[in-house]
Amino acid sequence: MLTVLYRVLVLPFYIRNAGTFGLVFYFAFGFMRPMDHEALIASALGSFFLLILFALAWVLYTARTVSFIRGQLAIPEHLFLQTFRLVPIRRRCFYWFVLFTQLLLPIIGYAAWMLARAVHYQSWASLLFIILAVLCLLIGSVLAVDYRLLRPAPDTVRLPSLRFRLPYELFFPTYWLRHEPLSLVFTKLISCGILVGICRLYPTDDYDQRLLLIGLMLAIITHSQVGRQLHQFEQRYLLLLANLPLSVARRFGQYALIYGLIWFPELLIVLHNGPISVPVYYLIGLWLTGWGWIMLLHSLGYSRSINPDRWQIAIFWGFIGGLLAIMFGWPLLAWGVVGWLVAVGYWYRSSRRRVQL
Amino acid sequence: MLTVANLTKAYSGRTVLTVPALLLSPGIHYFQGGNGSGKTTFFRTVAGLLPFAGQITLDDRYEISRDPVAYRMRVNYAEAEPLYPDFLTARDLAGFVGRAKLAPAGQVDTLAEILGVSTFWTQPTGTFSSGMLKKLSLLLALLGKPRLVLLDEPLTTLDVATAARLFDLIRKLRDEQEVSFMLTSHQDVSLTGLTLTGSWQVGDGIITPLP
Repeated sequence: MLTVLYRVLVLPFYIRNAGTFGLVFYFAFGFMRPMDHEALIASALGSFFLLILFALAWVLYTARTVSFIRGQLAIPEHLFLQTFRLVPIRRRCFYWFVLFTQLLLPIIGYAAWMLARAVHYQSWASLLFIILAVLCLLIGSVLAVDYRLLRPAPDTVRLPSLRFRLPYELFFPTYWLRHEPLSLVFTKLISCGILVGICRLYPTDDYDQRLLLIGLMLAIITHSQVGRQLHQFEQRYLLLLANLPLSVARRFGQYALIYGLIWFPELLIVLHNGPISVPVYYLIGLWLTGWGWIMLLHSLGYSRSINPDRWQIAIFWGFIGGLLAIMFGWPLLAWGVVGWLVAVGYWYRSSRRRVQL
Repeated sequence: MLTVANLTKAYSGRTVLTVPALLLSPGIHYFQGGNGSGKTTFFRTVAGLLPFAGQITLDDRYEISRDPVAYRMRVNYAEAEPLYPDFLTARDLAGFVGRAKLAPAGQVDTLAEILGVSTFWTQPTGTFSSGMLKKLSLLLALLGKPRLVLLDEPLTTLDVATAARLFDLIRKLRDEQEVSFMLTSHQDVSLTGLTLTGSWQVGDGIITPLP
């Protein structure tokens, strides 16, 4: 039973969030060195406020896992999981506990590191706080998902139905907002946060426009999983799309509009926070380049069954390559032209493959 | 009407369907076969939903790969088990598909009345029963000016009254507009009253004519 639960609930969570994990691990263990973590942990152990911040971050992650599991319990193909409620409560809670231990491994791992340092520094109050925080998260998660298992299909608060005809370009953004709101919020928060941070950092030293390009590349990477989400959405709910008489160019145009909408907040962000010394046309060019590269990621990933791990590795090496190209002074115009041209070219090439082997 | 040549469909390297040559004349064609025999795979391939090797040509003119837009303008498909985003309404989906298929003015309303979709026109599909979803998928498959309509299990979950109206409509489209149909069903198709042009057996990855 545990194996089935693991394959149905735990594995899909890690696969679905592989992009986010890749990015977080890259920053947490790529940019930050182990000694930086040690310093951070030492500070947290000595400051209750910092410990609370850690706990808040853990609560956010746990909320994401709980929301995912509750969502999985509600989808039609997982109706068979309703039989799980027939399992005696003690055993059921034990299974949930094991599952959430697997789901919260990133938290538990980091907490274990903090506990080891707490013992080292003999910071017993912090040690107790961390143990209690992790236990509360585990128990709270178990209760939250078991509650949903026992009370399926609740009358939840839903976003109101729309009274106008929804154009196709809004199908996926609406789905994303309604069905995976946390993913949408996290993606946009991280992407916009990076751009705001880079824009604010720019005037503080003798930086040039390469810094903005690096920020742009990081913001694009936060959208690297969107193509897969869009593809899964269409494969599941809009099979008829492939039967519609739409030309390759029109299909590309429709996707460009969808991504343009998704990427639009970043335009407002760069225009509002752009450094005074950087001209507006450059900021608009920066946004257009980002749009082109997101379309390129879409063209590369759409309709290909790429292993998420391999996709993340490719994104990582792409980032390294991009970083080098930026350092060697590749101009914005070149980035923009290459992004859009390859996006269009690859889209045409792969469109034929989608019909004919 | 439809010519299939050297068609091979494989999943992960395993061939599931082979059709060396198949010629379907205009009319109504019935495909039968057990569960997992490849009927839906064949229908989805003809509808242009799945990649394959080979050639599929409509009216000796429109080849699925060479003329992807013109072919899809004339070939429509209704799924056996339709599923749509739960926040969209029949109005949203019919508007989108109707525009793409260049549905004549008033066609959507007429079909919605016949199939009984108008009663839940602005309801999100998440509130639909399986029969309501089926009615919507049939409506979408009849939009535009198709030359060939593929109906995968059209009778499943459909109520008797709507099924009767659907078959009247199929008969009318066949007689007045020369629309051809391919359909599968696990129910007794003789009860539909349709005059079949051809019957085919799908099994073991091949398609053979039934006597």
